[in-house]
Amino acid sequence: MFPIIDIGPLAFQAGGMIQILSLLFGLWFTLRFANNMGTNGDAIENNLLLGLLMGIVGARLGFLLQNPSIMADNPLSIISFTPTMLDIPFGLLAGALVIYVSFQRSHLPLWPTLDTLSPLVILLFAGAHLANFATGNNFGLPTTLPWGVSLWNATRHPVQIYALILSAALLIWLLIRTRFLKYTNNHHSGLIFTQTLAGLALITVVTRALVADKAPLLGLDLIQAIAWIVLLASLGLLYWFQYGKPNHIRVFLSLGSNRNPREQTYKASQDIAKFAKILNRSSLYETADIRPNHAGETYINRVLEVETDLSYPELIERTKAIESNHGRQLDDKEDVPMDIDILTYGNQVFVMPSGSAIPRQGLTKHRYVALPLAEIAPDFRHPATGTAIEDILKHLDEQEQPVQKITEVENGT
Amino acid sequence: MRKSTFLIFAGGLLLASLAWVILTPVLFPFAQSADKAVAAHPGFQAPGFSLETPAGDIVSLSDHNGQPVLVFLWASWCPICKGAMPDLETVYQDYADQGFEILAVDMAFQDTLSTAIEYFQTEAYSYTMLIDRDGQMAQDYQMHGLPTSILVGPDGTVLDVTIGSGMSAGYLSVQLDQVFAIAEGE
Repeated sequence: MFPIIDIGPLAFQAGGMIQILSLLFGLWFTLRFANNMGTNGDAIENNLLLGLLMGIVGARLGFLLQNPSIMADNPLSIISFTPTMLDIPFGLLAGALVIYVSFQRSHLPLWPTLDTLSPLVILLFAGAHLANFATGNNFGLPTTLPWGVSLWNATRHPVQIYALILSAALLIWLLIRTRFLKYTNNHHSGLIFTQTLAGLALITVVTRALVADKAPLLGLDLIQAIAWIVLLASLGLLYWFQYGKPNHIRVFLSLGSNRNPREQTYKASQDIAKFAKILNRSSLYETADIRPNHAGETYINRVLEVETDLSYPELIERTKAIESNHGRQLDDKEDVPMDIDILTYGNQVFVMPSGSAIPRQGLTKHRYVALPLAEIAPDFRHPATGTAIEDILKHLDEQEQPVQKITEVENGT
Repeated sequence: MRKSTFLIFAGGLLLASLAWVILTPVLFPFAQSADKAVAAHPGFQAPGFSLETPAGDIVSLSDHNGQPVLVFLWASWCPICKGAMPDLETVYQDYADQGFEILAVDMAFQDTLSTAIEYFQTEAYSYTMLIDRDGQMAQDYQMHGLPTSILVGPDGTVLDVTIGSGMSAGYLSVQLDQVFAIAEGE
């Protein structure tokens, strides 16, 4: 037990310091993951810190509201910087509410945001157990095992350390699985978070058995029972995410061509209609080719909104087949008879080691993609960041080659 | 992972963990582990002590059975301790007639005792000052930092341990209100 850490002349409450450190490390991991996944790390971080602040303020206010005599005696106690006089459940509720509302206001999408937060969640969990070890809270049952620790008049299971080691293993698994937070390595948002949740629930189920002070309810330990229900729910979600059949998935496709572009674009649209229901098609947009040896040449682009029951890998296969039927050579950057990019696939956000990423980066990089998209889906929001299409367009470099709308959409093509 | 592999894995995991949840009360009976055991931690019996006052009287924690007691570990070189002591005096004035007691134990083994006594008498605190000369009491209470405040209930159970500045007048009086409310209820 080491409730106080002395650094030179300063003494720190070990529990609080460990919690703050785990928050900082967790945020660092989460920002890295956000950066690689394309989610809005800054908004996530700001909203979390706001929630943390409001949680602390809420915990103090909750305590004072329940004990109004303190305020009457000493109004300054509301701002005293001490870790007491906090109503923790009230603070958690206030913090969670603020985070929920501010995430909604920033239009942060649920599952991609939770995926991004996974490393932070694991670190906070591990930090809480290490903090408990430092303060001697949540201590274990007595044991005769050689690694027992002497605490509160007995040699006890270092159960907080068991949980710490298991959550460290979970973090290492997450880092390996994502190749140090570079890829989501799956085709479904929410998988990483749900797997994390299942891992933490399992750790709680296992280690709670050795905790000395249980929360008895109907002969069982309440915390353990809740953790088991969380495990059940997260395995159910995992099943649904991984094996649920794709059903009426909305997909935005970007078509581009620089060889007989009009003809190619019309024909590709017809090919796509064979496996996906076309809901909307944009006008054709003409873009000058700005490469030095292509003066005077133009690209034609269009965006289609389609609905499909194909999985992402199946859809990729079909679009690649159309590209090659149109004579596309992947190593030929000069001649592009037909290029089909999957801009979005439902609300999914993922990055694969193969380089394919949904939503596709071009969506926020090129006016010849964003402009036709805005035409057919003016209410579109980026599935990873929640940014509105009009804001994406505003941020696109005005200096990029001019994009011109050349035809209105024609019926039946 | 194939669907059937996942189902077998998930089902096995759920069944095994459910068995563990159900077996936990059997394998590790929910004894009130803190009952009767002695330690300076909430839920345990407060370690007993008998210490000298500056006047040479001996005061024991057990002298105050049936009363809530705040055991306050302090030293005269500790500004946070001295910052909290006037607060304690205020609360003591309010609750002493209901039986509340404060035992302010000076860590004399790492303090200049004469300075501590002089400070305590100059400030004219009306609660009891005790002297831990050899550090035995501090060791029994696993003192890690000053001040350490241990609130002991009327039955000798530790109710709260606060290290550092957290034991303010407001926090202490809220806890005492709860103690006396429970005592009245019984």
